[in-house]
Amino acid sequence: MSARLSLLAFAVLLAAPFLLGLAMPQAQAQFWTVNILGRALVYGIVALSLTFLATYGGFVSLAQMTVAGIAGYGVAILVEGAVPGIVGGLPYALAVPAGILAATLAGLLIGAIAVRTRDIYLLMITLALAMAVSRFAESNIDWFNGYEGIRNVVGPTLFGVPFRQPHLFYYASLAAAAALYAGVLYLVRTPFGLVLQAIRDNPRRAAALGYDVALHRIAAFGVAGFIAGCGGVLTTIYNIGISPGSIGLGASVNILIISVIGGLGHPVGAFVGSLIFAVFDTFAASLYDRDRFNTLIGLVFLGIVLVSPDGIVGLARRIPSLLRLPRRAQAARAAETG
Amino acid sequence: MPPEPALELTGIGRRFGALHAVRGVTLRVAPGERRAVLGPNGAGKTTLFNLVCGDFPPTEGRIAFFGRDITGLPAHRRTRLGIGRTYQTSLLFNGLGVLDNLYLAVRGGRPGRFSFRRPGRGDPHLARARGLAERMRLTHLEERPVSDLSHGQRRQLEVGMALACDPKVLMLDEPAAGLSPGDRPELLALLRGLPRSLTLVLVEHDMDVALPASDIVTVMKDGAVAVEATPDRIGSDPTVQAIYLGKGH
Repeated sequence: MSARLSLLAFAVLLAAPFLLGLAMPQAQAQFWTVNILGRALVYGIVALSLTFLATYGGFVSLAQMTVAGIAGYGVAILVEGAVPGIVGGLPYALAVPAGILAATLAGLLIGAIAVRTRDIYLLMITLALAMAVSRFAESNIDWFNGYEGIRNVVGPTLFGVPFRQPHLFYYASLAAAAALYAGVLYLVRTPFGLVLQAIRDNPRRAAALGYDVALHRIAAFGVAGFIAGCGGVLTTIYNIGISPGSIGLGASVNILIISVIGGLGHPVGAFVGSLIFAVFDTFAASLYDRDRFNTLIGLVFLGIVLVSPDGIVGLARRIPSLLRLPRRAQAARAAETG
Repeated sequence: MPPEPALELTGIGRRFGALHAVRGVTLRVAPGERRAVLGPNGAGKTTLFNLVCGDFPPTEGRIAFFGRDITGLPAHRRTRLGIGRTYQTSLLFNGLGVLDNLYLAVRGGRPGRFSFRRPGRGDPHLARARGLAERMRLTHLEERPVSDLSHGQRRQLEVGMALACDPKVLMLDEPAAGLSPGDRPELLALLRGLPRSLTLVLVEHDMDVALPASDIVTVMKDGAVAVEATPDRIGSDPTVQAIYLGKGH
């Protein structure tokens, strides 16, 4: 995606709460700001970590929601005001960096464990790790409060405004998403990012040129862990807490679905996919039979993947050439007759 | 005393189980020489090539590089000493641009390989990558992804990447394989334009490329050296004619 298009999208997102406020009643506008756009941003950040790994390294990991959850649990365990208080007492200014640090370390650890696996084996090993962590959280009462999880993680108070105030939450999420998105775009043009892409294209040649493939792989998982950790803190505040369900199989697969429907091929796909997911997940129940709304969600995603294997972003890239083709045919016909 | 040979193979042999792919090959390549190794399929050319590059060790004999015994060294150590190579099937980074491929090849041989800092405008590695692109006549394609390149352009890029770590000896594995007739003169001009400080060894199947590019031609058959002669005499050599035209069988 070009820089101009990125800036345009960012400008639209900046203005979105006010535009929504003009277009609909206040309560509805708030719902869209937080529960559709805000939710799309925070889960989009988690999906961004997967898109980064898959697009530039060729690694499809199912453990990114788990890594996000480690940051979320880290904050929930440490922070004051969480219910039940496990360690507690820490302000958000300390608990949030600690949670993100824990997620980064978890990312590095997962990267090191999976360093020799590729493709389906990588998918399986990350899935196994994800399930192990969520089961552990579910059965451990002392640290994770078991099935119930930890509630009342409401976020800090910034400038005297509670974090969950709709506009503050939205703009904080937008700022985090934009910074991480720009960071990924910068990173992939650095030597580290280029080597990562070289490993994706041809790991043996990259090693033959003198690069340490294992080191770069583990570092990539560490970077993805940091991104997922930032997303995990925000999703935990969005959900006002965290429970094993938020890092379970369904949640892990949802991140994969978001990345795939958005399109693995460009980081923006994570946010596009996340927005589509949030809209359908929210409105499918009212559009279709309440008991069968999952069928509608499944069909829409199946349709997207069938029409465009590289997701919505891939589809958008092809539109210009699809439009150009008939025009050129018309020009040829005009030349023949004229 | 004659100058030390760039490459000296003494009684080199390699067995793969019962197959004796290369046997008793002795070769001396002088610094700056252009040497072509020819032979029909199965003559042991590629095995010999891989033995020199260090993909696997020989089962007998000795390999010396400017007088230094490198018989037991692994491939990446030989690369660092100055033996560059190209691959028969291009092993390029298809998703990256031409300049990115060259930049990675330049950086790979040097310290500071792991970095999160973007190269600036005056970055010496980037400047060197640009220089290589120019030498390989690829400047106009620098920003294009490798997947857009023609077969011949990929071969040019492959040579550029092999030159990135300043080799003293450049090993070319069938550089003309699969090239269209239109791409061949470009490749030949490029090979001829390489400085004489570089020693070239090219393993080739095709005489039309090998002969104009070389000073001395070694013809192999059944794993051993059959003939060694200058290019102008190789065509009229009765042994070579027998190998290539099948006379005397």
